[in-house]
Amino acid sequence: MQKLVVVALNSLLAAGLYATMSYGLAVIYGVMRIINLAHAGLMMLAAYATYALNDRFGLDPFLSLVIVAPAFFLIGVALYATLIRWLARSSAGPSMQSLLLLFGVWLVLQNLAYAIWGGDTQSILTPYTMQSLEVLGGRFGVPQILVFGVSILSLVGLNLVLRRTYLGKAIRAVTQNRDAAMLSGVNAGQIAAVAFGIGTAFAAMAGSMLSTLYAFTPDFGRSFLLKAFCIIVLGGMESFTGVAVGALVLAFIENFASAYTSIPVSYQDAISFTLLVVVLVAAPGGLPGLWRMLDRRALAR
Amino acid sequence: MGLFRRHPVLPLGLLFAAGLVLAPLFAPRGTLNDLWNMAFYVVLASAWNLLGGFAGQVSLGYSAFVGIGAYTTVLLANAGWSPALTLPVGAAIAVAFSVAVGLPTFRLRGPYFTIATIGVGEAVRVIASGLEFTGGSSGLRMPAGTFDFSTNYHAMVGLALVTLALVAGLQQHAFGLSLEAIRQDIDAAEALGVNSTRTKLQAHAISAALVAIAGGLFATNFQYISPGSVFDFRLSLTIVLMPIVGGMGTLVGPVLGAMLFSYLQIKLLASPALRDSYLFIYGGLLIVVMLFEPKGMVGLWERLVGLRPWRRTPAVAEARRVS
Repeated sequence: MQKLVVVALNSLLAAGLYATMSYGLAVIYGVMRIINLAHAGLMMLAAYATYALNDRFGLDPFLSLVIVAPAFFLIGVALYATLIRWLARSSAGPSMQSLLLLFGVWLVLQNLAYAIWGGDTQSILTPYTMQSLEVLGGRFGVPQILVFGVSILSLVGLNLVLRRTYLGKAIRAVTQNRDAAMLSGVNAGQIAAVAFGIGTAFAAMAGSMLSTLYAFTPDFGRSFLLKAFCIIVLGGMESFTGVAVGALVLAFIENFASAYTSIPVSYQDAISFTLLVVVLVAAPGGLPGLWRMLDRRALAR
Repeated sequence: MGLFRRHPVLPLGLLFAAGLVLAPLFAPRGTLNDLWNMAFYVVLASAWNLLGGFAGQVSLGYSAFVGIGAYTTVLLANAGWSPALTLPVGAAIAVAFSVAVGLPTFRLRGPYFTIATIGVGEAVRVIASGLEFTGGSSGLRMPAGTFDFSTNYHAMVGLALVTLALVAGLQQHAFGLSLEAIRQDIDAAEALGVNSTRTKLQAHAISAALVAIAGGLFATNFQYISPGSVFDFRLSLTIVLMPIVGGMGTLVGPVLGAMLFSYLQIKLLASPALRDSYLFIYGGLLIVVMLFEPKGMVGLWERLVGLRPWRRTPAVAEARRVS
């Protein structure tokens, strides 16, 4: 029982970060129907930016979010204005062209990090990196708890923006039906630019926070990209709640699998790949799709 | 001469093939090594193009097949097999693996398939590094006395020519048309009676077999393999980039891409400054091609000779034409 509670709490802590990491992908997919493969590169670059701010100016990784997130918002808008804008829009679904273009961006970002920081493994050490707190009989690292707190704050903030402001309503409108939104006077191009900025800023926040938990190299981010993609597929690709639920599901499966089965740690990443393929094949609509299907069956009876 | 009129590049191709076959008679060893590498790339790019170019199913996990071919050859050669006999076994295992991977992932469409293949490639690399009999991350060596460059050169060039002939043949065949139909509109293809899953599985299996044989020859030529060399993401990347930059879904495109990339690689290895910026070059090429000419070098050529008009934003025009 004790172990169960601790594993559940660990999953919850991981889920917060997972949700932040995935939301960036989901908002870009929702508004533009683009799968942002550069997401991994942006997370990696943000980790290095945090590292540089910490190394040069001694700035705390969590405080550096105040600089990193807005800076990456601007980077995202610039990426949209220079590259993404020129892509053909397809209503049918994400195009191969956009996927490969952003793949190219990811490669360029990786090389940028190699050129500036080299290929060595880097990590950020703070006074609290090794500290832990005791909660409900389990010991949890202070960075994990801080990451969870910041993730929840950012997600609540984002949810408020999406629900209460014109910008947020416009983003949701374009996600639901682009043509109808444009007919109602929403400037879809502008919204897309802002959405790409928000997505990039969330990638950056996730990257900064990951840098307090893991060591990183310019190759960093590939397995997290796959996790994020798995989460948004689980969550049904576009809904805010879906992402949160998907993050919880993946985090619980990963943590329970490593606590209660003998799967070696090095294979842990394989869980998300497997889950991704299984979900894409068995329930392409993710959990919401599955839910609707069950609902319809219940109604039919 | 109807054959030549129908295939304007055929004489050039035959000349090129004759040059490759006869090169050992006059070219120095250094050049032959470069040509070997180019032939290796031609096989990988053209085989990938069968599924990725013609059928539009972009897979980022092809290094798995190079790895399967290479590991099969090394393991069987160490068990006393003659290297030549190991190649078909490697191809057979690769075919089995391609079907095992394809059955679930081919139910996914477009970019979803691509993302799933990143996962598959990653999983294979992790597992190969962890297994006991593959020598883990330190890799395996071929037994002594299996190295014979001249035989290997002819085998690789032969494989490249067979691959090209096979792709050219399939392109004319109903099978090639089915692949093309799947790329353009998979639902319409299904409605016209194309069994899309079976066709994709077949294309995947053919290209997997070719790539695995190339991987086996790779192992014999370099005498040493490790997960870092044959299961590398960078190799998967090169396999994908060559046909894309050359021109997806064409016979000549992957060959042009392979020539460009093997040349680039020679240049990159020669200069440390370039070696550190290969991802800039690869990523930059990908961005430029996707923004300006999704049909790559072949598309550029078609426009230069006036087969297609110049447009300011050709990417958009291309998409409209297809949709």
